[in-house]
Amino acid sequence: MKGRSADWILAVAGGALLAVMIHYNSVMAKHSSPVLASWLAHGIGTLGAFVLVVAGAKIFRPAPATEPKAKVPAWAYLGGIPGAFTVWLAAVTVNSKLGLSGTLALMLVGQVTFGILSDRFGFFGVPKRRFVLTDFYVVLAVLSGSAILIFFRS
Amino acid sequence: MLGFVLLGVLNGAVIAASRAINGRLAIDLGAFKASFWNHIVGFVFLTAVMLAIASMKFDVPSNAPVLAYMGGVFGALFVALNSYVLPRIGVTKTVLLVIGGQMITGVIIDVRNSKSVGSAVAQFVGVGLILLGVYVARTAKGK
Repeated sequence: MKGRSADWILAVAGGALLAVMIHYNSVMAKHSSPVLASWLAHGIGTLGAFVLVVAGAKIFRPAPATEPKAKVPAWAYLGGIPGAFTVWLAAVTVNSKLGLSGTLALMLVGQVTFGILSDRFGFFGVPKRRFVLTDFYVVLAVLSGSAILIFFRS
Repeated sequence: MLGFVLLGVLNGAVIAASRAINGRLAIDLGAFKASFWNHIVGFVFLTAVMLAIASMKFDVPSNAPVLAYMGGVFGALFVALNSYVLPRIGVTKTVLLVIGGQMITGVIIDVRNSKSVGSAVAQFVGVGLILLGVYVARTAKGK
């Protein structure tokens, strides 16, 4: 698969993987606790990602680097820390009046808001890009569809 | 109440920030290594927190089904895919397309587990709106 046409398929597929991950993690959380489930998922995920790195190097066989690699900023390695925090934040709001539905909906709003600001200002060194009118339609359609699914779930 | 609302929104922002940082790492190291670092750093961090808080115990349940352990495997794949796509199409579009795939898969999982998932009309409208959004995102020219 080449070019950008495949990117949207990969992103949607990523969302599907995420839903499956959350489903299995919630089964584990029922047998233990949310934090322990997250801890186990990170541990097993480390092994899984290690297999991907090894297999990826075998399958894709990257050309030997000829140019010196750009220096990776140290903070770029720390994405796992905010990722681990979400478990606690979610636990607090799910147990408040917001419940699961409210928490999920607000998390979607937070993700999209951060995304728009991040694209505009290039937070964390991700390439900047403009927010165009079609992006607004996408935001409207995906968020309203998600809100309906979240709030009409019995 | 407003405090909880802000906390919920903040949680979403924290998730998106985590994904943006992993995407930044993937630019230099590739998506698989970005996923590896995300998981090992998160694992070390959670281990430290659980050691620091005495009430948190490393009690791995003995009665959990094997599939319950599979979350991490799907997570490793997810972070790799997300980190690959994010620098290419931007944070907003990545976040929205992931939400779309996640919500629709969530409906499928619920139906398969034959949970009562509420109004079929609401599901139909919700999934339809998300598909419409994905379609618009797909046809929109990359900027």
